[in-house]
Amino acid sequence: MAAGEDAVGRLRRGSGLRFEQLKGRVFEALLIGATLVGIVSLLVLFGYIVFDAVGPLAASPRWYLLYFGTLVTPTAAFTLYARRRPAVRAANARAFAAVFGGVVLSLAVYAVSDALSPYDVFIYLVFGGGPSVSIAVYARKMNDNTFAGPAVPVSMVIGVAVAAGFYDVLRPIIGTVPRWITYIAITTVPVAAITGWFAAREWTTRRGLLTAGVVVAGGFAVAGGALVSGIDPSFWVVLFSGTVVPVAFVVGSTAATNPEGRIGMLGPFVVIGGGLLGAVVERQFGIAGLDSYLTPTLLLNSWDGLNAANAGVYPQIVGSIIIVAFMGIMAIPVGIGAAVYLEEYAPATGWRGRLASLLEINIANLAGVPSVVYGLLGLALFRNTLGFGTGIVVAASGTLGFLILPIVVVSAQEAIRSVPDSRRRASYGMGASRWQTLREVVLPEAVPGVLTGTILALGRAIGETAPLVIIAVATTTYSAPSGLFSSATALPLQIFASAGNAKPEFRTGVVAATAIVLLALMILMNAIAIVVRNRYQKDD
Amino acid sequence: MSNEPRPETEPLRRRGFVIRKERLYGRLIAVCAVLTIMVTVGIVLALLGRALTFWTAVSPVSFLTGTQWSPIISGTYGVLPLVSGTLLVTIASAAIALPVGLAAAIYLSEYASDRARSVLKPALEILAGVPTVIYGYMALVYITPLFQGVLPLSVPVIPSGLPGVPEFILTVPSLRTFNVLSASIVVGIMIIPMVSSISEDALSAVPDSLREAGYGLGSTKFDVSTGIVVPAATSGIVASYVLAISRAIGETMAVTMAMGMSPQLPYFPNVLRNLVESSQTMTAAMVQIAQADSLGGVTYEAMFALGMTLFVITLAMNAVAELVRRHFREAYE
Repeated sequence: MAAGEDAVGRLRRGSGLRFEQLKGRVFEALLIGATLVGIVSLLVLFGYIVFDAVGPLAASPRWYLLYFGTLVTPTAAFTLYARRRPAVRAANARAFAAVFGGVVLSLAVYAVSDALSPYDVFIYLVFGGGPSVSIAVYARKMNDNTFAGPAVPVSMVIGVAVAAGFYDVLRPIIGTVPRWITYIAITTVPVAAITGWFAAREWTTRRGLLTAGVVVAGGFAVAGGALVSGIDPSFWVVLFSGTVVPVAFVVGSTAATNPEGRIGMLGPFVVIGGGLLGAVVERQFGIAGLDSYLTPTLLLNSWDGLNAANAGVYPQIVGSIIIVAFMGIMAIPVGIGAAVYLEEYAPATGWRGRLASLLEINIANLAGVPSVVYGLLGLALFRNTLGFGTGIVVAASGTLGFLILPIVVVSAQEAIRSVPDSRRRASYGMGASRWQTLREVVLPEAVPGVLTGTILALGRAIGETAPLVIIAVATTTYSAPSGLFSSATALPLQIFASAGNAKPEFRTGVVAATAIVLLALMILMNAIAIVVRNRYQKDD
Repeated sequence: MSNEPRPETEPLRRRGFVIRKERLYGRLIAVCAVLTIMVTVGIVLALLGRALTFWTAVSPVSFLTGTQWSPIISGTYGVLPLVSGTLLVTIASAAIALPVGLAAAIYLSEYASDRARSVLKPALEILAGVPTVIYGYMALVYITPLFQGVLPLSVPVIPSGLPGVPEFILTVPSLRTFNVLSASIVVGIMIIPMVSSISEDALSAVPDSLREAGYGLGSTKFDVSTGIVVPAATSGIVASYVLAISRAIGETMAVTMAMGMSPQLPYFPNVLRNLVESSQTMTAAMVQIAQADSLGGVTYEAMFALGMTLFVITLAMNAVAELVRRHFREAYE
């Protein structure tokens, strides 16, 4: 034993071994450096952008002290408190999701409906959604889905077609109603139905109806209040339906059912309250704040090429949202359908099997095609073949849809593949058909994976620029698109157009802030994807 | 469910409907799958039609061997300067991304703890998720001024006065506002995850028995990583390289914004000068044509010819990567 240790000691002292050790350490350090170098440089560059967009040097030390006191300290204290208590933490997360999700959703719905005209949204929603939802509810009530499956999409298509056909008749009739009533119809009523349904499921049908009634009455009360104070009630109706109602519902039901975690509901209000308090004190005492370009002006104005302080990207934001939303409606069902075919329907042998393997290779190749080439496809298809106008929403959505199709297919395939075969066999063993198995067993299990993949694909589409430049989408428009066939622009195009601007207040001011808005939209998408994944993973 | 007795024929009719419904759904889903093929067919048709028109107006030989690209001003369509620009960016960004990505892959697969890996892997993926227009903005507005502070540069690598050795001074001229260097840096950063994630898959697929055999023979971790695991995963690593390079070739916004619009043949013999000058890639040339006011005529079709060239190159590279990868799958599964 002693002799052995001695030998090891001698070896260790030997210069060869020491050199080997040093070599190993240096190598590992190099590897760590290489792993971090990209991440760190990106963070540094983001730091530059944020610095330029926010202008932190303009703020006085008192400003930092103020927000440290009102915002940072309470938030940190609350987070520390919640960290140790799982129930509080869960309630906190729910409250944050409800508050911020509600605000974002309300703003998006209001902006999009306002751009497309709430009357149009109302007409298409009633004709497309009304019959199909009634059929679905009826089928659920009768416990018989045999006919509802085909009837729901068919009625939706027919409804939309009828609405489009009679648009010229319907629009003037609907147009007699004030705008805010259409907002009540397109936001408050569905929200009331959903909360009522939740309440009915949790308690009794009576309570469900009561809840729905209270929500609708609340909507009218908010509108009435706004009318009395002489402001346009439209936005407040949407904010009430999209934010106040869901938050109240989540807070109320958690407070009632979860006394342990109740306090966690305060989380978002601590943050918002702290921010508001800080803002009030800042204004009251005239404390020098940030020299920020990331202001409500940026989010609400349209572009101003002469005056940076007045420049905004509202049309670009709404354009991006509408383009990506319509793209999702078109591309995601096709992508999921293709994935289902490849995973569930395609046989392994015969000419169909060969077709399926051809499809797989094709999708892998499509994923590697440069995005500019998709732009050329869009140009050739929408402009030269179909004769659409330049830079309209449909062309932009279609082009981006082709681009994300392979991404959606691949991610949906992975999600469907991860459903264990035993479930399918159990379903077939009980006499279920292929479609029933798919609908009742495979898809519900694959939903989180499919959703995560598709949301990430939407995030990718929001940042995509090159295909839009190729199909000649305008870099700047001064109003949000008013329909699917009107011209639109997107956020990244504005960055592309103005990055080389000679004036520094644009180059490193407004453009930096626009880049942050774009990144924020992407981070939001990714956050939603992560929340969806975590939520469903917990349920397993 | 109603309690009234149903007519005898009802279940049969229902079953017939269900069967027809199943068949309809199956067909609808198959249509979705076929639509993905239609996208490829559409791309090929769209590109081929216009590109062929272009190649009847401008002979393919003069397109492929011409040394001047000036479609809008003088109507010359020689693709070589654009190919040279694309190659420059690709080589320079590959010089960054290939070693860095491989090193990251080795770290993640061989050295990193589970916890470090669970943080670093998604963090690396973010590099590929940032919109390329933001990369272009960062290159143009932040990276270029950073280097402009350092350049021009002249470093005496071999100082004068040494007996028998000629003097050699490395000179890098000052940096243009639009330059290859900053574009290559951002393209390099954005393709790192392409290399690292695919290479890491290949490295992790190397069976542990090989590693254990190495340790059993007294090898250090360094020896095992570089002498056993990396050689065993060569084909996967090569595949990742090919895919990353193909992505760099097709990259558009960052190179358009940061590299400028002046197609250029490479400078010799001072190769480094190529990095500081402005240039233009094939993709950037397409964007320039698309942005020009009058869309039509030969110039417009030239865009499709460029797209066709790009499509063929990337398709070929993806096919090569797939072949190499298959080879590696056969070896260990």
